[in-house]
Amino acid sequence: MGVSVQKPFFLWRHLNKLRWVSLSIVFTMLVLLPFVHIYQTYVAAYAYDLLSPSERQLYDVMEALTGPFTDDPAQDLDAIKGNTWSGTFWGWKLSDPLAAAGQAAAGVKTRSALYWPFLITTAIPIALTVVFGRFFCGWICPATILYELNTNFAAWLRWAGLKPGNRHFDKRIKYAVLALGLVLSGVTGSMMVAAMYPPAIIGREIYYGVALGGFGAGTVFFLATLLFDLLVARRGFCRYLCPGGALYSLLGRYRVVRICRIVENCNDCAKCNAICEFDLDPMCDDFGQECNNCTACMAVCPTDALTFTLRPWDGPTRGPGHLGRQHRGKSEIDEKTKETA
Amino acid sequence: MERRGFLQDLTVGAVVLAAGAVPYGFLALLAPGGQRGGAAQARNYLRPPGALKEDTAFVAACIGCGLCGEVCPPRCIRFHARDGGTKVNTPYIDPEQKGCILCNKCMEVCPTEALIETPLPDIDMGIARIDRTACYPWVDRGICGACVSICPLSAKAIGFKMWNQYRPVIKNGCVGCGVCVEVCPHPSVPIWVAERTDETARKQKA
Repeated sequence: MGVSVQKPFFLWRHLNKLRWVSLSIVFTMLVLLPFVHIYQTYVAAYAYDLLSPSERQLYDVMEALTGPFTDDPAQDLDAIKGNTWSGTFWGWKLSDPLAAAGQAAAGVKTRSALYWPFLITTAIPIALTVVFGRFFCGWICPATILYELNTNFAAWLRWAGLKPGNRHFDKRIKYAVLALGLVLSGVTGSMMVAAMYPPAIIGREIYYGVALGGFGAGTVFFLATLLFDLLVARRGFCRYLCPGGALYSLLGRYRVVRICRIVENCNDCAKCNAICEFDLDPMCDDFGQECNNCTACMAVCPTDALTFTLRPWDGPTRGPGHLGRQHRGKSEIDEKTKETA
Repeated sequence: MERRGFLQDLTVGAVVLAAGAVPYGFLALLAPGGQRGGAAQARNYLRPPGALKEDTAFVAACIGCGLCGEVCPPRCIRFHARDGGTKVNTPYIDPEQKGCILCNKCMEVCPTEALIETPLPDIDMGIARIDRTACYPWVDRGICGACVSICPLSAKAIGFKMWNQYRPVIKNGCVGCGVCVEVCPHPSVPIWVAERTDETARKQKA
């Protein structure tokens, strides 16, 4: 019996590069937008002749960058504004579902009614999360790019002989943090959950730092999470503490697009488990609700054993990979597979 | 092993508590407390135009995304940071720094009900008040009229007292944008934006 060995679509192992492009674009935009805003204010005030040399330099650079796209910067550049917490794209408003949850919680104290136009701005992110799971964490979150670079930094430290922390905790802690954040929001009547959510912090801190002349307390908190990741647990904040990650995990529990292992191609090398930022177990078919479809495991897999599937649950554990040492010699069919492979 | 597991649980618990308490603690500790409290704060800081009347409702509705500041052409919208307490990351306008130009962009861009699109005459950020014991023309120390000439609502909001060309008087059409405060040349800024109450409205009419 010739086992038809399934091959994943050849571009899927390159999705991880696309992901880095996506993360870089989001982060670059977050840095760029405050400068764009300053430039717009100069344009709106016809202030070029009054600017100091450094301000004039900013004006010239932004004019060169945006010139090809617009004749009327003061108006047209309002098309893209905001950050991943809440933003507007050509009039389309998109908000983080956690913002809606936090606002609803904060409204408990003031007995505010729900404001539907705002909840609707979270509809597209929620729908995408229901389909693609926790994709925000891997593909968009502006903190992710810094956390992943931090992971790489930890790898350098390890190479240099230092020992970054790699402790493991219960992943359910972040649901408690989410609950805690919402309760704090409800008690104080203010968005306390945004004070412990790195993407919201980064979005506004970059704006404060660039356009308003100073970082706030959020930067201290974010640096603390970087240190936590470095010294205590790899990618620890996202894995164990992030309230937004908790909400996205819950929403993406029955996501339709998920990664699965092709057991026939797997050789049990465990590179997927090593690369996984979220401490999942792709080698044993265990993705769970935490997987953010970041596709790092697909990119690292040497035998094309990981692919996408469309079903709202993980498959059963299918045992050792058929190309692996554990499985070798167990059945004739697999012997054949091995020979043909 | 038993003890080790217990210690681990303890650490985890501490971390969870810290994740919630640390940001709150930061805000509480870093707030200067009393430096700019009470009346002084009410005098200096305005909410952006179209803001919810009740400040607690505004704080609860605002998600702190910073969009209103990011579209503001004069960059008058700033954000409470360490001084804010639970108001942290909510927008304010300090008219002594920059007044609002009533361009409506912040109301249009706000995703929540914190800032609602409001027609110009209905905007109520407060009402300007003038200290007649300090304002230069009112104490006969010269002529000025800066506030009157800058006012975007012109005759509806501010005018000169009939029998003295240079003594400014606030009218009920004032929406509290604060550009008069911004331009006031007097070092003690004897014009400010106060909360609009029936009493203020009456006093200013007189």
